[in-house]
Amino acid sequence: MRLFFELSMRSFQRQLVYRTAALAGLATNFFFGIIRIAVLVALYGTRQEVAGIPLQGAITFTGLSQATIGILSLFSWYDLMTNVYTGAISSDLLKPMSLFHYWLSHDFGRAVGQLLLRGLPMMAAYAVFFGITTPQSLWQWIAFVISLTLAWLVSFAWRFLVNLAALWIPNALGFIRFVFILSWFMSGFLMPLRYFPDWFIRVCNFTPFPYTINTVVEIYLGVLQGPEIVQAILGQIIWGVCLILVGQVVLRLGIRHLVILGG
Amino acid sequence: MRHSLDLYWRLIGVQIRSQLQYRLAFFLDVVGTSLSTILTFATLAFVFQRFGNIAGWTLGEVAFLYGMVEAAFGVMDMLFSGFDPQNFGKQVRLGRMDQLLLRPVDITLQIFGSEFIMRRLGRILQGLLVLGIAIGMVEIHWTATKLIFMPVILVSLVCFFGGLFIIGATITFWTYESIEVVNIFTYGGSEMMSYPMNIYQNWLRQFFTYIIPAIFLVYYPALFLLGKPDPFKMPIFAPFLAPFVGLGVLLVAWLFWNYGLRHYQSTGT
Repeated sequence: MRLFFELSMRSFQRQLVYRTAALAGLATNFFFGIIRIAVLVALYGTRQEVAGIPLQGAITFTGLSQATIGILSLFSWYDLMTNVYTGAISSDLLKPMSLFHYWLSHDFGRAVGQLLLRGLPMMAAYAVFFGITTPQSLWQWIAFVISLTLAWLVSFAWRFLVNLAALWIPNALGFIRFVFILSWFMSGFLMPLRYFPDWFIRVCNFTPFPYTINTVVEIYLGVLQGPEIVQAILGQIIWGVCLILVGQVVLRLGIRHLVILGG
Repeated sequence: MRHSLDLYWRLIGVQIRSQLQYRLAFFLDVVGTSLSTILTFATLAFVFQRFGNIAGWTLGEVAFLYGMVEAAFGVMDMLFSGFDPQNFGKQVRLGRMDQLLLRPVDITLQIFGSEFIMRRLGRILQGLLVLGIAIGMVEIHWTATKLIFMPVILVSLVCFFGGLFIIGATITFWTYESIEVVNIFTYGGSEMMSYPMNIYQNWLRQFFTYIIPAIFLVYYPALFLLGKPDPFKMPIFAPFLAPFVGLGVLLVAWLFWNYGLRHYQSTGT
C-alpha cells in the first residue's frame, strides 16, 4: 500500500510540473463550457425543468462534465498501449507489484493532480461566472465524493482493459479511440442521459459508461434520491469489480504470448 | 508549379502507402474517428426529440450547419495536418524545422506534405452523410445560385480553418510548444459554428463576427440557403461574404507565416 501511494505521489508531482498546460487546458474547457451552456439555455427556452433537471442543474452539468475530463482522462489514455509497443512494458512487469496496481497507482496520482489543477478551478470559475447548484446535504456530498472516486475506478478499469488490446493487435490505437468516442456518447458526457429516450438509456446501462460521469452528475444534482443513490453506487462497485477481474484474466492471456523485441 | 505539385504528390504518396499497410487497423481507425461525427449527430437527434427545437432551428437545420462544418473541417484536417499546431510545435521544439530548412525545396510545401492523415476520410464522409440527411430533412428551394454556392461555402470553410491552423503553427515559432488556447479557435470555433449563432451571448457573437468573422462562413450562408430571416439585420450581401472571409483569413495566415519564417530561431536541439 505504501508503494502504491509513493508511486501515486510521483505521478501527482509530475502533473504539478505542467501548470501552464493545465491553465491553457482550463481555458479551452471553459470555452467549450460556454458553448454548451448557450446550447442548453437555448434548448430550455422558457421551460424551467426538463426530464427532472432544472436549467441551473443543466448549467451545472456542463461545468461538472468539463471538470471531469481530466480526472477521468476522458479524451485519451494510451499509456499502457504505448509501453507495449515500445517494449517498456518489460520493465513494468519486473516491478515488485502487479502491472494493474502499478498503473492504478500511477493513474490515481494523475487523477488527483487533475482534480486540483483542472477540476476544482473549473467548478470555482463556473460558480463565479454562471452560478452552480450544490448538493443539499452532507450525505449528498459524501455520496458524491464516493461516486466520483468509484467513477474514476470504473473509468480506469475499462481504459486498462481496452489498452490490453495492444497485446494482440499491431495497431490498437484505432480500436481504443473507437471505445473512447463511444464512451463520450454513452457516459452522459455530451448530454445528461436523462434527455435521451428510455430505450437508449437501457442500452447504455448494459455498458459501464453511465457509471462514470452520468452517475456522478445525477448524484451531485440530486436527481437521484435515497435508495436510488445506494443502487447507483452499488452499480459502480459491481462494474468496477467485474472490469478489474476481466482485465486480470485478459492480461494473463495476453502476457503469455507477449514477445519483447530486444534493442 | 508542376514540379511543386509533383513533389507534393510524392511526399503524401509515401504516407498514404504506409498508412494503408495495416488494412484492418486503418479501417478501424477510419470508422473510429468518423464515429464521433455520427454519434454527435445522434445525440443531437435524441435531444431534439426531447426539446423540439433550438431557438427556432429544427434538427435538420442544425444538422445542416453541423454537416457542413464537419465535412469542411475534415478536409482541412487532412490537407493541413502538417500545420496542426500540436504536431508542428513538436517539430519546432525538436529542431526538425532546421532539417527541413536545409533542403532545397520550398519550406511551406514541405510542411504541407509532411503530414497527410488518411483516416480523416472518415470524418469527411460522415460529415457529408450528416449534410445529406440534413438536406433531406429541410426544404430548400433550390436555385442555380444556391447549387453553385454550396461547394463555394465548403471550400471557404476549408480555407478558414486552414488559416487558423497556419496561424496556430506560426505562433509556435515563438512559443516552441503548441499553446492549447489555439484550440479554442480551431476546435472551439468549429463546435461553435455547428449551432445557430443567435443562441450565443452578444459579446461572444460579436467576437466571432468582427474579430474572427466565423459568422459569415456557415451561419449566414445557411440563412440564405434555408430561407431563414436574419435576426441581426446585416446588409443583404452578408451571406455571400463567405468566400472573401475564407480566402482573406488564409491570406492573412500566409502573410503571418512568412513573417514568422523570417523570424524563426532554432531551439538548438
